[in-house]
Amino acid sequence: MKKTCIFQDTEKTQNTTDLLEVSERMYGRGQFESHAVLLADSFDPLMGSFHHIIRVAKGLVDCYDPRGICDILENLHKKNRFDSILIPGTSLGEMIAPRLAKRLRTGLVAGVTDIKKEGGHIEIIRPAFSGKILEGVLHTGNGPVMMSIRPNAFEYTPGDPLQTVVSAYTEPVSSPSAVTRLHVKENQQTCDIRDSEVLIAGGGGVKESFPELYRLADALKGRVAASRKLVDQGIAPRSIQVGQSGKTVSPRLYMALGIHGSMQHMAGLRHIESLISVNTAANAPICSLSDIVVHGDAGKFIDRLMKKIAVYRS
Amino acid sequence: MDKNDIIENLGKILTPSQVNTDSEDLYDASADRYKKYAKVRRVLDVPVPAAIVYPTSADEVSHVLAFCNEYGLNVIPRAGKTATEGGLENWKDNTVVVDARHLDKILHIDTYNMQATVQAGVPLQELEDELRKQGFTTGHSPQSKPVAKFGGLVATRSIGQFSTLYGGIEDMVVGLECVFPDGHISRIKNVARRSGGPDIRHIVIGNEGSLCYITEVTVKIFRYYPENNRFYGYLVKDMETGIKALREVMVNGFRPSVARAYSEEDAAQHFYHFHKNRCVLLFMAEGPEGIVQATCQAIEAAAEKFQDGIVEQVDSQSIADWFNNLNWSQKDIDDEFEEMKEKDSHAGYTTEISADWETIPKIYNNVMKRIRQEYPRAHDLTMLGGHSSHSYINGTNMYFVYNYRILCAPEDEMRVYHHPLQRIIVEETLTLGGSMCHHHGIGKFRNEWTMEEHGTAYYMLEKLKQAFDPKGIMNFGTIYPQEEGAKYQK
Amino acid sequence: MKIICVVKIVPDVDSIVCDVENNILTGNAARMMLNPDDACALAFALGVKASDPDCFVEVVSMGPMSARPRMEDLLRLAVDRGTLISDPVFEGSDTLVTSAVLGRYIATRPFDCLLTGSHSLDGGTAHVPVQLAETLGLDQMLGIIRIDPHRFDSTRAVFEVEDDKTVTTYEMAMPGVLSVTRQSGYKLPYVTLSDMRRDVSDELAIITNQDLCFSETDVGPAGSRTKVVNRYPQTYEKKDRHIVGNDEAGISCVFNFLKQKGFL
Ligand SMILES: Cc1cc2nc3c(=O)[nH]c(=O)nc-3n(C[C@H](O)[C@H](O)[C@H](O)COP(=O)(O)OP(=O)(O)OC[C@H]3O[C@@H](n4cnc5c(N)ncnc54)[C@H](O)[C@@H]3O)c2cc1C
Ligand SMILES: Cc1cc2nc3c(=O)[nH]c(=O)nc-3n(C[C@H](O)[C@H](O)[C@H](O)COP(=O)(O)OP(=O)(O)OC[C@H]3O[C@@H](n4cnc5c(N)ncnc54)[C@H](O)[C@@H]3O)c2cc1C
Repeated sequence: MKKTCIFQDTEKTQNTTDLLEVSERMYGRGQFESHAVLLADSFDPLMGSFHHIIRVAKGLVDCYDPRGICDILENLHKKNRFDSILIPGTSLGEMIAPRLAKRLRTGLVAGVTDIKKEGGHIEIIRPAFSGKILEGVLHTGNGPVMMSIRPNAFEYTPGDPLQTVVSAYTEPVSSPSAVTRLHVKENQQTCDIRDSEVLIAGGGGVKESFPELYRLADALKGRVAASRKLVDQGIAPRSIQVGQSGKTVSPRLYMALGIHGSMQHMAGLRHIESLISVNTAANAPICSLSDIVVHGDAGKFIDRLMKKIAVYRS
Repeated sequence: MDKNDIIENLGKILTPSQVNTDSEDLYDASADRYKKYAKVRRVLDVPVPAAIVYPTSADEVSHVLAFCNEYGLNVIPRAGKTATEGGLENWKDNTVVVDARHLDKILHIDTYNMQATVQAGVPLQELEDELRKQGFTTGHSPQSKPVAKFGGLVATRSIGQFSTLYGGIEDMVVGLECVFPDGHISRIKNVARRSGGPDIRHIVIGNEGSLCYITEVTVKIFRYYPENNRFYGYLVKDMETGIKALREVMVNGFRPSVARAYSEEDAAQHFYHFHKNRCVLLFMAEGPEGIVQATCQAIEAAAEKFQDGIVEQVDSQSIADWFNNLNWSQKDIDDEFEEMKEKDSHAGYTTEISADWETIPKIYNNVMKRIRQEYPRAHDLTMLGGHSSHSYINGTNMYFVYNYRILCAPEDEMRVYHHPLQRIIVEETLTLGGSMCHHHGIGKFRNEWTMEEHGTAYYMLEKLKQAFDPKGIMNFGTIYPQEEGAKYQK
Repeated sequence: MKIICVVKIVPDVDSIVCDVENNILTGNAARMMLNPDDACALAFALGVKASDPDCFVEVVSMGPMSARPRMEDLLRLAVDRGTLISDPVFEGSDTLVTSAVLGRYIATRPFDCLLTGSHSLDGGTAHVPVQLAETLGLDQMLGIIRIDPHRFDSTRAVFEVEDDKTVTTYEMAMPGVLSVTRQSGYKLPYVTLSDMRRDVSDELAIITNQDLCFSETDVGPAGSRTKVVNRYPQTYEKKDRHIVGNDEAGISCVFNFLKQKGFL
């Protein structure tokens, strides 16, 4: 029986279970024993999904102290001899995983998005070169397999509920950080389109329906961007222009409504994960780069999609 | 004479309202697009001119030039301000920029004799729009058409995107009027052809403001048949194949209006939606139906002949769409300035050369190799490629394009990047016997090679300068090398 | 104050072509550049130096000798010392080994603060700064968008870290490792033409394994615990594109896509 240790997703506790999918891909369903290590108070969402939940006692370690957390994980590994340790690729996780790997003298694969199993080998897949290529990595050496997992890359479908054993971790931390948190403020939502993960962008084809884009952007928690065509016509402000003479953006989702895709516009798009274009001309250049091309009028498209989202949300 | 005297005198020769001394405008007038990056970043190293004047007639131009000639003041003729090689850059303190802004009238459109007469400050687009209303075209379509004006277009020997059918500006100019430094006004009459001694139009066409000031131009016009336009595009395996296919069509006696071959890198930026990391070959046929049909057959036959090098044919609509979005407006130029204000990089520096069919691929390969091997900032180049876009029966041009990150002080950009790159292109071209300046003129930044460009014929060029501009007041440093200007170049 | 900037010379991702058949990146065609996050870290350090002439800035990088010209470029800025750790035996090292090598050299140098970038453009990981801190027994923080220049000295540093929802201000005792991101906007000064033309070839210190004395089995691929065995291109062309109508089916397709990718 393999043993897998999964550290809590401190940003979204319920997502911690998704990392079980990684273990399943490596070892097969029911072929491993799972341990979740939690800093948070609430472990309800994880009950029944893990064999073990190890709760770190309150006050042992600051939630922003990767060094202290490493101590705990290192100790747990010494006791349990895990075959794999999986850390969510959150900002905290990114500081914990490499440190722990160093302490355990084991290899670490970061930002994992997929697992391939071929002839007994486990090939760990991760994007490199800003997502331009995917690397297949083998873990060598004797230490546990360590990975940090790209958020949302895996989705776990729960099986039959397990009898979860909850235990507490109480050993004092020997080497905490000399870091203090002075204060935390809300991240002022700047209006900069470069900071947005979702951009709903309009061009010459949405001259009339441009205000509608804001509705869709709100629904998808994104911002509105524009091609120069709309900026020239005074319909959109220059600050939201994407392109060679506008801003360079790298959202996860770029929705191009009525944008032709001139080379100067495309010069502003870098490493877009998903591109959806809506265009009355299905052969507009931008369509060639799109994951989905909706062939038709952009105004009507927004209407229909908004209805669908409204139904889903209610 | 100091600047104040100059300004005062110009105000008397013209009216004070025709004399502009606004500091922002003078800064703008001190350089052109060769130093556009330094200009945007406000770190130009050249002096500002004393004034910009706006004459309204050939007579006024004559008075201004005579005055400048008498006092040895440098004159920079100016039209649409799209010059790219330093033709508008100022190297003298006492400089008067003579701008064609008020020479802005279309004087005559004669559809029976198929010619149109305009003043030097008329934007090409304006005449083109007028002609289109009547079913005609100038046949001249440089990418700068919306902005460039006739004075500049003639003075630079410009060429348009449909040149393979219509020719360059030199094939279009019928007659013209120009003013010499001593104030003399010459009119070259409009006739279909003549054998009246050397064709003196060619002293004016391409003089880049270094011999005389152009005030009026008459050009041929052509019937316009947009309904017959046909487009072809192919992905080809290498530049050599592309150029061979161009040659095939040309030497068989056909004149497509557009015939172009793009390198992989250049194609990737223009045709990202279909290039597949290949070179792109494209054609456009236009004109009367029968001619278009015959031209299309010739294009198809050439594609057939070189099918081994052709990867696939491209949807012709893509090519048509692309063409319709190619020209630059003033807005585009302004936008490019905005971009350079913020970003430490720039797209769209170019050097255009020409040679015969045999030599062009060699120059292309030599340039690519030399830049990659010996240019010290090669790693800052984000794009390096080229295209052939104007073909003739005996050869073609090569338009080298390069983009780079600018990792040096803005005032050094030209010295660190643009000029060393241009130097390599020019040197390789001249070594193999090509011309270093296919259509942007020599300006001030290729003048160090003017003698080499012309060889023993430089004698003739030199004599022209001595004859028409003995005091050397016309556009100091343009075409003709000047020791004094070296500090602004190197 | 003594600052060591640990930087990496990386291929510009835009210039990379992946040769899948041979499992190689056509690296010689790739343009090499200073990793953007690292450039911000160095820019901050040079800013400190500009206002405090006593500040000493060393730039350290581990990489192949082909990184040399880019390291020399940094010497043309106001950097006091440049060090390139380069030895054929180090080639192919994973981050674990890299941080050990860097750590061994840096341990011999005086410093009050190590500045690094957060993420590297090529690997996309933040391992080296974190593992380097672990090697040297130091604290470390990723994702720094601002360091307070008035509260930055040999005893402590105060800085801000940003995530989606918050901006948090921390104080860390020095020496420690501060890893800056591009969002900091710190920008390197321009190199002047005269500096660009300066010959700095003998100013760069080259450190090899002769200086560091690692056993050959502990470094390079032999010492590494991970191994890249395959590369798959992720190109635009590879996207399996759907063209859908602007109808119920089309809208559903978009809707499901958004849902699957977690946008809803
Ligand atoms: C130096 C320079 C810098 C530039 N910088 C930028 C820049 O930074 N950013 C930029 O965007 N542009 C820039 N441009 C301009 C660029 O070349 C294009 O002109 C511009 O991007 C076109 O915008 P568009 O695609 O929105 O409009 P259009 O070209 O008008 O395209 C409209 C598109 O919408 C489609 N459409 C029409 N009606 C509908 C409908 N009802 N529903 C759905 N689709 C419809 C059409 O099929 C077409 O594809 C620059 C140009 C230059 C020369
Ligand atoms: C975006 C862009 C695209 C371009 N595309 C092309 C192209 O496709 N083909 C091409 O050939 N060029 C092209 N050019 C270059 C440029 O547009 C041409 O050289 C054009 O002919 C210059 O015309 P202008 O009116 O802007 O002249 P200016 O820039 O004002 O002047 C150009 C030169 O002519 C001289 N001159 C101007 N007016 C007169 C006059 N009245 N009498 C005597 N001398 C005068 C000036 O002193 C200067 O040396 C392009 C430039 C840009 C910016």
